[in-house]
Amino acid sequence: MPRLGIVMTSRSSSDSAVHTSVDPGVDIAVDAVDLVKRFGRTVALDGVSFTIPRGSVFGVIGPNGAGKTTIMRALLDLIRLTSGRATLLGTDSRNAGPELRRRIGFLPGELILEGRVTGRRLLRHYANISGPVPLGRVDELAERFGLDLDRTVRTLSKGNKQKLGIVQAFMHRPDLLVLDEPTSGLDPLMQQEFLGLVREARAAGQTVFLSSHVISEIQQAADEVAILRDGRIITVSGVDALRDTAIRHLRMSATGIRTAELHSRLAALDGVAELDCRATATGAEATAVLGGALSPFVRAIATLDLTDLVVEEPDLEESVLRLYSAPEDRS
Amino acid sequence: MTVRTAPPAAQGEVERRTPLPIFTRALVDGWRSLLGWSVGFTAALCLYLPIFPSLSGNTQMQQLIDSLPPELTRTINYQQIETGAGYTQSTFFGLIGFLLISIAAISWGAAAIGGDEESGQLELTLAHGVTRVQVAVQRFAALAVKILVLALVAFLVVLFWNAPAGLELEVGNLAVTCLLFGGLALVCGSAALLCGALSGRKVWGIGGGAAVAVLGYVFNAIGNQSADLEWLRAFSPYHAAFGDSPLANGTDAWTLAWFYLAALLLGALAALTLRQRDVGV
Repeated sequence: MPRLGIVMTSRSSSDSAVHTSVDPGVDIAVDAVDLVKRFGRTVALDGVSFTIPRGSVFGVIGPNGAGKTTIMRALLDLIRLTSGRATLLGTDSRNAGPELRRRIGFLPGELILEGRVTGRRLLRHYANISGPVPLGRVDELAERFGLDLDRTVRTLSKGNKQKLGIVQAFMHRPDLLVLDEPTSGLDPLMQQEFLGLVREARAAGQTVFLSSHVISEIQQAADEVAILRDGRIITVSGVDALRDTAIRHLRMSATGIRTAELHSRLAALDGVAELDCRATATGAEATAVLGGALSPFVRAIATLDLTDLVVEEPDLEESVLRLYSAPEDRS
Repeated sequence: MTVRTAPPAAQGEVERRTPLPIFTRALVDGWRSLLGWSVGFTAALCLYLPIFPSLSGNTQMQQLIDSLPPELTRTINYQQIETGAGYTQSTFFGLIGFLLISIAAISWGAAAIGGDEESGQLELTLAHGVTRVQVAVQRFAALAVKILVLALVAFLVVLFWNAPAGLELEVGNLAVTCLLFGGLALVCGSAALLCGALSGRKVWGIGGGAAVAVLGYVFNAIGNQSADLEWLRAFSPYHAAFGDSPLANGTDAWTLAWFYLAALLLGALAALTLRQRDVGV
């Protein structure tokens, strides 16, 4: 799959919010131009522009309230933009007819499914109002996720409801998938299954637009990632570039070492911050955050007599928050 | 047809679609509730109507009612309780039946859009291949059908007791009364639907629908008290429906049409409102 160029602008980075199109010949799935949404005096989206080429996976990440859900709702015409426009699959999203939404699969961020109907009946209902669902497709998806379709929806756990939501988004093989926090509530095995589904969708030429908090998920699934804060896109980059900026929390304890020695060993490393060393009964323990490469850290602690070592998965949201916590100049 | 029992799918074969999916689902999902209310209606009617023979011509009962404060008998419309039509009107259509059908209509109306939006499910429905107007119109239609089913239940049960209880009701008058009864409830339910669609909250829908039902009843009751206050009845849908004793006298086509046109108007306003605004915020 050739990597297609994505051009993102936001007001923070350019006064005029210049929107530069990709090659005219390239098929564009989503073209958002200077999206602005105000709720009363709150600015939820402040000039967001991005382009998603057809057949790619585009992730958006950011803290709660950054505007991820608002972008998705605006694309689906659930909320109306104050200004700006979005084109989905060649159709203006505003007041777009059912024909456009039949070609889209949507998973809301806070999926609420109630009622005494079974999962199968509920999916039948959504199949009635979405694009044509191939026979057997629902069962195939349910089987992949180990989802019992004959149970009543309201008795399902959060994770199982989320699976139902994923099935209804994917079942009609839509050209565009808009997925808000798709893996929330799923166990790691099911998250992998979901990522597999996303890869298959991309391979089939479908376009995926998803939001997430989990770096591993973005890393595995997305071609490009946009970072959103306070209603503006701060940066957009490839996944590798993003991973380099990620920080990890680490916690360790070792025996037979004094606090000062442990401190000096760790403090000497590049990318170690918030280092906190304490004495324990048998030695010393330390907590810190680590940005940058792991190998120097591993070498530095290789000779220690470790009793405990925890290196947490990089928290992308936190890295992003740290990277961009400096106040910006508003244009 | 379920997918599991279907034969192996040929290439390109897709699941069959149901026509009017939103309407159908609203009806199918609401069958328990509809059944429950129908049972309640039947129970209420079967408690009241069979005892009419022991009350009519019973001088003690009439003395009891005469001894009540006239304001009270006027409020609950017990002046004409000695006729079958007056009794059925006062006990069921004007009181317990009105209460039950109003609660049913208002709760259904408030849940149809406002409740669905509040719970977050409307968002998902609207993200599919339906327009907002389709959703509002089909849910309004389902509301109307459910209310008319309740009115039909009332018609059938009253008709059943007509001879055994000696009510001596004319079937034509009973039919138009049931249509007025349903129309009045539909106006309350549509007001609830509209307020729910305006606010996206179930509680506002209930408030709006209840305001129409309660104020209509109260304006009628107060307007009955004195000639000075009769003008209040002009603002009472309740009075418009039952003021001329339709069970005894029938009604004219315009009165009947008024209720259904008003309900349609409220339903149309709900659809237009929903089309305009942000959903799920």
